[in-house]
Amino acid sequence: MKSSLVGQAVILAALALLPAAGEAIYFRDKISWRSAIAPSEMVTVEKAREWGDTAIWVDARPEDEFASDHVPGAISLNEDRWNELLPQFLAAWTPRKKIIVYCSSLSCNASREVARRLRKEAQLSDVFVLEGGWEAWVKTNR
Amino acid sequence: MGENEQMKQTSNAQRPTPNVERPEHSTLGVELSALGVWRFLWRILDFVLAGIFIYAGALKAIDPVQFASDIDNYKLLPWPVSVAIAFYLPWLEIFCALGLVFRFLYRGALSILTASIVVFTLATIAAKVRGLDITCGCFGHASQHWSFPSHLATNLAILAGLLALLFKATFRNRLQNVV
Repeated sequence: MKSSLVGQAVILAALALLPAAGEAIYFRDKISWRSAIAPSEMVTVEKAREWGDTAIWVDARPEDEFASDHVPGAISLNEDRWNELLPQFLAAWTPRKKIIVYCSSLSCNASREVARRLRKEAQLSDVFVLEGGWEAWVKTNR
Repeated sequence: MGENEQMKQTSNAQRPTPNVERPEHSTLGVELSALGVWRFLWRILDFVLAGIFIYAGALKAIDPVQFASDIDNYKLLPWPVSVAIAFYLPWLEIFCALGLVFRFLYRGALSILTASIVVFTLATIAAKVRGLDITCGCFGHASQHWSFPSHLATNLAILAGLLALLFKATFRNRLQNVV
């Protein structure tokens, strides 16, 4: 086809949009556009409060932020002191309890990483990440 | 003396060759077959590179969730952009690779693939410089355990192939005029 290089590139770029859009629709339940965590692994503040005592809270923020304030009953478990803090967390956790991990805000990654490590390294299930993190909890509870 | 009589008296070695242009014809024939071999080799390169990008694109298109996570690991882009790229880039690679196979929008396909491999390579180097220990995600899980040097060498080999094809496609007419 005789057309300019840029013209050819634009046509190809436009053609690729069609299957990409189809795939985005097909995978809409498996990936969130707002956060790197799958919708099934996230929990809202309202839902987490409904769980009450059947859930245990994990604060994935740095220690100084945890010391300053945290969700009542939350246990500090961050990646900086993972090996020290994990046994303390496991001592407090009981089977069948859901685990809710949070960090500072919607854009932070610490809760996602801690949740991933709890699933992978500690072999725990029912691990959820709090949507909106500490900011969302403060907004809802104060 | 008639031509027939002269031919009878002349030995085979001394007999004049009726077609004096034959040597030139055979040179041309050799040149044409050499040109054919080169064309064949260029087409092989087309198919090899297209195969690589179709394979890489298909692996990523099958699992866009994993690919979005791989892009996010580079810590260069916000998450929604990583998701958009995860859905779009594999298909762009596949379409461009098909362009190489069928010689459809050929130069556009080559330029997009060249630009994308340059970006991948720079992102990989940037991640290494920043000390990020991440999988590139270029070939889905197939490239999970690639070391940085093998990853870089693969990218540079692909880039060299693409640049050669792009150079040939762009300057083909000028080269033919020179020959």
